[in-house]
Amino acid sequence: MTEFYWFSEQAYGHVTDKDLEGYESGRMHFPNTFFDPQKAHVLYTNYHDQYAWADEVGFDGIMTNEHHSAYWCMKPSVNVDAAVIAKVTKKAKIALLGNVIAVNDPVKMAEELAMLDCISGGRLISGFVRGTAVETLHAGVSPTENRGRFEEAHDLIVKCWTQPGPFRWEGEYFHHRMVNPWVVPIQKPHPPIWFPGTGSPESVIWAAKHQYPYMNLGALLDLTVQLKQIYSDTAHEVGYEAGPEHFGYLMRVFVADTDEEAQKIGEEFLWTESHRQRGPVEFNDPPGYQSRAALEIKMSRPTIGTGTIGKRLSYQELQDAYNMIIGSPETVIKKLRHVKESLDPGYMLFYGNEGAMPHESVMRSIELLGTKVIPAMREV
Amino acid sequence: MTTTTSKNESRLNVAGTQVQMFSGGSGPPLVYLHGAGGTPGWQTHHEDLSQKYTVYAPAQPGFNGTDRPDWVSTITDVAHFNLEMIQVLGLENYILMGSSMGGWLSAEMAAMDHRNLKALVIIDGAGIRPKTGEIAEIFMVSATTRAGQRFFDTSQVPNYESLIQEPTQEQVLVEHSNREMASRLCWKPYLHNPTLPHYLKKVNTPSLIVWGKQDAIIPVECGEMYQQALPNASLKVIDQCGHSPQVEKSQEFNKVVTEFLSGLS
Repeated sequence: MTEFYWFSEQAYGHVTDKDLEGYESGRMHFPNTFFDPQKAHVLYTNYHDQYAWADEVGFDGIMTNEHHSAYWCMKPSVNVDAAVIAKVTKKAKIALLGNVIAVNDPVKMAEELAMLDCISGGRLISGFVRGTAVETLHAGVSPTENRGRFEEAHDLIVKCWTQPGPFRWEGEYFHHRMVNPWVVPIQKPHPPIWFPGTGSPESVIWAAKHQYPYMNLGALLDLTVQLKQIYSDTAHEVGYEAGPEHFGYLMRVFVADTDEEAQKIGEEFLWTESHRQRGPVEFNDPPGYQSRAALEIKMSRPTIGTGTIGKRLSYQELQDAYNMIIGSPETVIKKLRHVKESLDPGYMLFYGNEGAMPHESVMRSIELLGTKVIPAMREV
Repeated sequence: MTTTTSKNESRLNVAGTQVQMFSGGSGPPLVYLHGAGGTPGWQTHHEDLSQKYTVYAPAQPGFNGTDRPDWVSTITDVAHFNLEMIQVLGLENYILMGSSMGGWLSAEMAAMDHRNLKALVIIDGAGIRPKTGEIAEIFMVSATTRAGQRFFDTSQVPNYESLIQEPTQEQVLVEHSNREMASRLCWKPYLHNPTLPHYLKKVNTPSLIVWGKQDAIIPVECGEMYQQALPNASLKVIDQCGHSPQVEKSQEFNKVVTEFLSGLS
């Protein structure tokens, strides 16, 4: 049984390649003078209408995320967006991928997430992420601390949810002599925890060891099949059998009434392709963000494709590799069936909007997904 | 416990950690601490100093691909580690010299214990936040930017080509360890300790502050602040020179250092 999730990165679609020319990177160096709050207001309204519509037409859930200093993601707080989703939808699960817990106050994270679970009536799925390195740089945190802070924050949040307060926490990074959050989650022992990754086996292993569903964010299908095997092998070592419910796959999906129209609008998925991660490598992989051990592992094996980062594929190649699924409902159903057969993911996450895609076209895509594609996929 | 591994290089056991030690020369002891970029080993300025002194130039823990003790994650930790190293070496009345981050470490060590210290030499040292300028960003910049920051004029740098060669795989790992360790120690507060100037008021050790006038990483203003913070310090500014006078202007550097050290009783 596969669940289907809508995802929109909430791009500030007014930025053009020309705007970005002349800046060393598309994130930390690209000045926020290009941001117009009035235009953002209109975009936010559209994105929230899309959430409500996805819920209405039959998606199982809505996935959302957080980035900082990014023109392609206007969500510096995933929890604020989750609060909106909780109020504009009625049934959909709310999957966060997620909170960058390494750079936040874990007790406040535990409180906000518990609040969201209560507000939504137990619809929350709480993903935790290390974030891209830029999230850490933007927060002013040393990249060498990301992994340690992530793991300690995770343990503290779970403790907030599962152990009655007050209690004391004296860790390496977080120090509280009294922890006693009043609000605790509806879901017991706590909301499901997801963990995402793009291609690193270390992330898959961490998720598998904790028995947390691993969400692959847009690697190519063949690599994702390998990563799923790593999850299953790790689960076996830990002592349980992994099933589809432990694995999800994010694809860029756009549906229109005809293949031709879908292909035309879907090309907007390439909007950030040339500058999404542009900039010195020190921004995407600053010293210490990956450990010495991780670097040694990486250097000891041949380069494998890691999603869309590192190698540039054409629009057609990305579609051939099932990173993008674009077309009429019939075409999209056929391709998604292939993904289902090769990977059998328990969760299919549809990244359904990008750049300056017209709002009306996106609403139509959501409708076709909800009324034609998803019902057909449920019969598989 | 010292194990010699090659000429000028040995391993020194400091509380269970194997320190990579470069040393040589004879005469009174002089400890030289490298900057945030690590150390390529025994270098010309070490050799020059070793004509009159016994020079100890350790790789700081975690740098150069060496082990980092679990408890060492701040500049203060490294300073304490180094004082233990001085004790293991059995040094009395030693000269402490450091460049950039090593200058900062030297100042912290002097603030912790200067009774055994004959002299302190700080070369374009980190550690103090300038009042008007800024310490340049060295982590969130490209390798090209970093290469351009260090020297005033690369034609003054002997064997400059060897510094910008494509690294081997082994060098990539060493470089990663240096940058990882420097990030760990210097990220926040960025390359300084707000209370260090206050610590230094009691350090009446004869001190020399040497600075490249055109240092593009740590402005010469920080040299002036070091001089003001230390009660017994003089400042020598070398013109037409960037962040590493010991490399870029070695003659002038040797001259001011020799003058200072030979003037000590």
